[in-house]
This record gives sequence, structure tokens and C-alpha cells, in this order.
Amino acid sequence: MKTVFVRPELCIGCRHCEVACAIEHAESKNLFDAIVEDPVSKPRIYVEPAINYLTFPNRCRHCDPAPCMQVCPTEALYRDVDTGTVAIDYAKCIGCSVCAMACPFGIIQFQNVFQTDNDREVNAKCDNCIERQKDGRIPACAEACKTGALEFGDANELIRVSRKDFSMRIIKSAGTDVEVPKIPENIAAFRNIMKKIAETREETA
Amino acid sequence: MYDTSEAKKIAEKRALDAADQEIIVKTIEDGVETAWDRLECQQPQCGFGQLGVCCNRCTMGPCRIEPFGKKPDRGVCGATADLIVARNMLDDLSTGAAAHSDHGREVLEVLLETAEGKSQGYQITDEEKLKSIAEEYGIKTEGRQKEAVAEDLARAMLEEYGTLKNSIQLVERAPEKTKQLWKDAGIYPRSVDREIVESMHRIHMGVGADYVNILLHAMRTSLSDGWGGSMMATEGSDILFGTPTPVTSWANLGTLSHDKVNVVLHGHNPVLSEMIVKAAEDPELIKYAEEMGAKGINLVGMCCTGNELLMRHGIPIAGNMLDQELAIATGSVEVMVIDYQCIFPSITHTAGCYHTKVISTSEKSKVQGATYKEFHPETGLDTAKEIVRAAIENYPNRNHGRVKIPSKPIQLMAGFSEEAIRKALGGTYKPLIDAIVAGSIKGVVGIVGCNNPKIRHDYGHITLAKELIKRDILVVETGCAAIASGKAGLLVPEAADLAGDGLKAVCNSLGIPPVLHMGSCVDCSRILVLAAHVADELGVGIGDLPLGGAAPEWYSQKAVSIGTYFVSSGVYTVLGIPPKIFGSPNVLKLLAVTLKDVVNASFAVEPDPVLAADLLEAEIERKRTALGI
Repeated sequence: MKTVFVRPELCIGCRHCEVACAIEHAESKNLFDAIVEDPVSKPRIYVEPAINYLTFPNRCRHCDPAPCMQVCPTEALYRDVDTGTVAIDYAKCIGCSVCAMACPFGIIQFQNVFQTDNDREVNAKCDNCIERQKDGRIPACAEACKTGALEFGDANELIRVSRKDFSMRIIKSAGTDVEVPKIPENIAAFRNIMKKIAETREETA
Repeated sequence: MYDTSEAKKIAEKRALDAADQEIIVKTIEDGVETAWDRLECQQPQCGFGQLGVCCNRCTMGPCRIEPFGKKPDRGVCGATADLIVARNMLDDLSTGAAAHSDHGREVLEVLLETAEGKSQGYQITDEEKLKSIAEEYGIKTEGRQKEAVAEDLARAMLEEYGTLKNSIQLVERAPEKTKQLWKDAGIYPRSVDREIVESMHRIHMGVGADYVNILLHAMRTSLSDGWGGSMMATEGSDILFGTPTPVTSWANLGTLSHDKVNVVLHGHNPVLSEMIVKAAEDPELIKYAEEMGAKGINLVGMCCTGNELLMRHGIPIAGNMLDQELAIATGSVEVMVIDYQCIFPSITHTAGCYHTKVISTSEKSKVQGATYKEFHPETGLDTAKEIVRAAIENYPNRNHGRVKIPSKPIQLMAGFSEEAIRKALGGTYKPLIDAIVAGSIKGVVGIVGCNNPKIRHDYGHITLAKELIKRDILVVETGCAAIASGKAGLLVPEAADLAGDGLKAVCNSLGIPPVLHMGSCVDCSRILVLAAHVADELGVGIGDLPLGGAAPEWYSQKAVSIGTYFVSSGVYTVLGIPPKIFGSPNVLKLLAVTLKDVVNASFAVEPDPVLAADLLEAEIERKRTALGI
């Protein structure tokens, strides 16, 4: 099973994934034309600010079974078997938002898309960049991410790396290098400062 | 919409000052957008930018360096994180130095035009200072008309912006030891403009690629600001408008008036606002205001233009940087006059929610939606009168039903120029030095710099100032930090009760506050002069003195320059907001550690003001021990 695995500790909130996603889902597929298209293309991945200025890139997990698919009354949501993607047929979407209610990650948003003729809003969810994947390319968000917070690959392999890290942290074996994520001292120092700034505002008021 | 209790909670998180909180609630209820709202909309902010590893300087890029040790570890040109961070810092610093120095140049131009008899409404006010600085410049003063001396001096100072002689006269004021150290490190400033232009050259692709060399030039550029452009702005303003002496006035948004025409003077340069002070005293205009239904004309300052007017005329100060939108949101401002620096581009948008008119006065800082009244020294007073008249004519448009002005302005004392402090000490720094040697005053810390909505408005300034005076450390302040202390009641002699026993006794005997308002941002140069005098009396360098600097809430490029000239001059400086350098461990190490070996001072970053006070106290103790006291 291939997936975009998220390592939130490596996300630095640059939102490049959002921009890349919006471009990928624009008609023109290039930045300079995409910004003047009508309707303007919007991202389907959301970098959310969380506590202490840390961020989380929230994205469709393409669940199987998928709660959104299960509740969709028009079967607009379907599974692309080759890529394991929960995809959407915009023509069938009636904008009832039941899928959004069922989504455990809260990432379904309704938008105008160039594929529909009228300006109604449809479930414009992450499509796992099916087209790119069929061309042998990885999803745009993972390609855009320069810090490795979004990594595309075999789920078990990606999870293995995180698991090893977790185990290492638990064991704290002397002399053993932790594989990932290794947070450099300077970045840890910066985050510590931002945490203090966030806390000061909360605690002193 | 928010309910009032929720709005109150938000306001308490945003600002420390009760008067500010009251108006923040009003902005929320009125639906007026402020910097705090815009900061929220900006979340999350790009980590590459915050770490300083984003380079957008040429079109091979934009480039960024992966901060966790993976690829890309170089920009297209091959620049590493160290180089990109250093270039970005030099870029920011030069922008700040340019802002201060350009301000200084304008003051000197007015001085020149006044000397030539071409300006309107200006005069040479402080002849004594004119003479003493002219003597520093080797200009003859005996038996000469003050105008002739001023003309020579203004030309000599203006010449130093692009001088061929490779030195700036006022830099000579630094103690010998400090100057020698600058020479040894190759950072002795050569001219005002040259260092900034050279910075721009050095950060061009394919020029400077050694981050250490780039940062050394950053230090030199900052020194050309602190001991050059900024100092010229201060001295030029003193000659023209008078050297500040202690004065009592009022601070916070409560200085706005319910029944007078309110004019807010916002920005940094005193040359036009000084004329507005004159215009507002014009009996005809006062009468006109009364005819329009007002009880008079009420001038209040904001940011550093406000500090300049407060220091010299006791004009009340409505607030610091984050107060600019709040002042308008009181619904009581007829005109906000802006010159330049720290003025939100959105200020006209805010003004559009009320009857307020924004009048811009500098060709350099036109703002869309503002009325532009071009200012020339030749017609300075006429322009000032036009602006006051426009404010009076706007008074009937005030919707009194939408006005809310906090009720209690806070009393303050300002005007502590270096000369005034020396005078308060009896003409020599000996009493201060004695107090420091005796330990009743452990040291002196300059708290300077801006507001930043990332920190609760004024919380950093006030908590740090209180914490330091409690520990018997005298605090001197400029800029938004000084205004914050005014609003919090720390600038009155009675505030000595909050100080430790040693400092309290010194303040009480001199009748001074434990926190001294030394002026605007360019007046950080006054702190340098004070430090130089003390060092000279002791025969040491500035880096040997038990001094510290802090910018708890800084935001601006000017603050990068100020912080760097403090450190380069030997003053350990603690920042409350991280500068954009954390993407380079090498630059971090250089600025936080290695610099100590070069200038006996370094930077530190500590947003918690209590912990910042610990750092400053420890550093003061280190210097005291080295001095054997």
C-alpha cells in the first residue's frame, strides 16, 4: 500500500505543499496562469497551525474502508483500485456534505472546480494526484515538501522508520544513532523559543 | 460576532495596558481589522523564512535550504545556509541603517537650509550644542554668526554620507580602547552611505561568500548607523529644536480629547511635526477650531515622532507602534499625520472605518488612500497650518456616538538626553560611577525597540524593566519601549518604589525615575554617548562596563542595526524575538558566543523577560567582576 506519510515534526509551515496542490489541480497546471484562472484552484491539503507555532499538514488519508465513501448517497466517491485512491466524480456530487461529516480528519472542503460547467461547489478532496501517479510521478505535495514532512512511498516501509525512531527513544540506547527524525540543535532551540513566545501570551493574560 | 466578555479575554491576551485593552475590545466590536488579526491570518508562517534560509534575491531562485540536514543544502548559486542567513541578515541590517541615516540626512538638510535662511519657521535653538559639535568637526566658532557655523557644520556632516576621507567625525567620540578594537577587527566605519551601498554589493550573487566576512561588514554598517547616521539625526535635531531636558507629560490613548480637534503625529522625523506644534499654537487656527465647535486643538504623538515631541515640548504621547490602529479606532482622531517608518500600510484602511483623515507628508512614504501634502522646509510652517486647518475642518464629521476614549492618561517624565542625565548627576558621571562601584546600582540596561504582535503588547518591555530595577539595575529606554514604560507608570520618580533599595535611594536623592526616557530610536545614539562618557571617565572601553541592552518586542530592520551596533560597541544584548538566523548553527554560534572574544559582548535570545533579566544580570556581574568591583 502506497501512501503520503506525514512526519509532523519535520513540518516547518512553509505551505509549499498547499501551493503545489493548488497548481496541480488547476486547469493550466502552472503557477503564473493558475493564479488568474476562474474558478481559481485551491489546495486540498491544509497546513494547520497548532500549539506553540508547530504545524501539521492535514491531508486525505484515503481510508479503506472509507467513511466518506460509505455515506455518499450518490456514489460520487469511488475507489481507484490501482492507486488505492478515494476519488470523486464531480458530476455525481450533489454537495450534500455528508462525506465531510463522516470524515475523521476534517479535510473535505467544497470548492468550485474547472471540471464542472456551472459554478456549484463540489467535494474537491485530495485525489492522491492519480494522474501524476499514472505517469510514474509522486503526489505534488510530497514532491514539493523539502523537509520530508510529507513522504510518498510504501506505508509499511515509512512506518518502519518512525517505529524504529520511537523504539530508540524509548530505549535511549547509548551510542545508537536515532534514524529519524533527528532534530538539529539549532532548530530545537528555535522551536523552544517559539514555544515560550506562544506560552507567554497564553499564561500572562 | 464576539460577545463583550469574549472580546475582553482576547484583548487581555493581546495587550498589557488597560487603556489599550479597552480599545482592542472596540476594534473587535466595530469589526475593525488590526495587526493581531492579520498575524492570526498569517499562521502558519513559513519556517524557511523564519529560519533565514530562504533566499529570494535572484531569479535562479527563490531557493531554500532544508533545515534538518537533508537536500537541498545549497541554493542554485551554491550558497549554503550560513551564507544565505548572513546575506539576509546584512540585507535587513542595511535596510535599518539606511532608514535611520536617511532620517538623519533630512534633518541635516533642514539645518543647512535654516542656516542659509531658506527655511520657514525653523531656527537654531541650541547654540551651545551647535558650537560644541562644530568644534568636534574643527569648525571655527569664535566671533562667527551661528548661521555661518551651522552652515559649515551641516555641510561637513552631510559630506560624511559619501565622504572620501574614510572616517566619520562622531565615531571619534567612542573610547580609545573601543576604537582600537574596531580597527583591529577591520570594522571601523568609513562613511554613512558607503557601508550600506557596499552591503548591497556584497550580498549580490558571486560577491561575498564567506559568512564571517559578511557579518563583520554588518557590524561596520551598524556602527556607521549608531555612531554616524543615527547620531547625526539626534544631534541635528537637538541643534534645530533644542536638546531635551526633563519634562512632565501624559501617555496612553486617554490623551486623546473628547472635545478638542485631535491630531496624531505618527512616524519618526521631527522636522514637519515641529512646525505643526507651532501651527497649533496659532491664535487664528485656535479660533477657527472653536468656530467649528471644538474646544481647541489637541496634539498627541505616536511612535518616535511622538517621542521627539514629548522630549522637547511635553506633547502627550498616545502610544507606540501597535497603538496606531487603536488610536484611530477610538473614533476621535481628525487627522493622523504620517512622515515615515513603522506606519502600517493599512492605516488608511483603518481610517476608512471612521472619519479620520490620514495625511502623508513625505515623498518617500506616500500611502494609497492618504491625502498627500508635500512638505518642504521652505514652506514648512504653511504646510503645517494647512494640515491643522484640514483637521479642524474634519472635526464636525466626528461621530460622537462612536467615540470611546479611555479615561485615564498616565503621568510620565521624559527628556533625559545624555546632557540632561549628566546635569542631573551634577555635571559629571562620577556619582553614577560611584554608585556602580558601591553596588547600589549594579549596572545599566538600555531597553529599546518596537512592539511585535507575537508578544503581548508591552508585556516584554514592562516585565523586563520592572525585573531589572528590582535588581538595582538602572534602565534607560528609547522608542516604543520607552512609550510602554510611560503607559505603565514607570517613568515617574515615584516608580522608584518598585526598585531595589540601592537604586531606589539613588533615584530618590536625584528625583529621577528608575527608568529614564532617552528619546526616539535614533536616540539610541544618546545611550552610546552616555556609555562613551562613562568609559572615558574610567579610562576603559565600552565593552568593559557593566551594561546591557534588550529589545524584548522588536520587529524592525532598524532594530537589527541597533542591536548590532550595541553589541559591536561592547554591550551584551538580549532579544525577545528570534532573529532570522536560526537556520545556520554557525551564524548562531558566532553571534551568541564567538563575538565575545572580539568585542566582549554578544547576542542572546530569550522571550521570557524574567529569564532575560537573569541573563542581563549575570552578564553585568561578569563585567563587574572583570572590573574588580
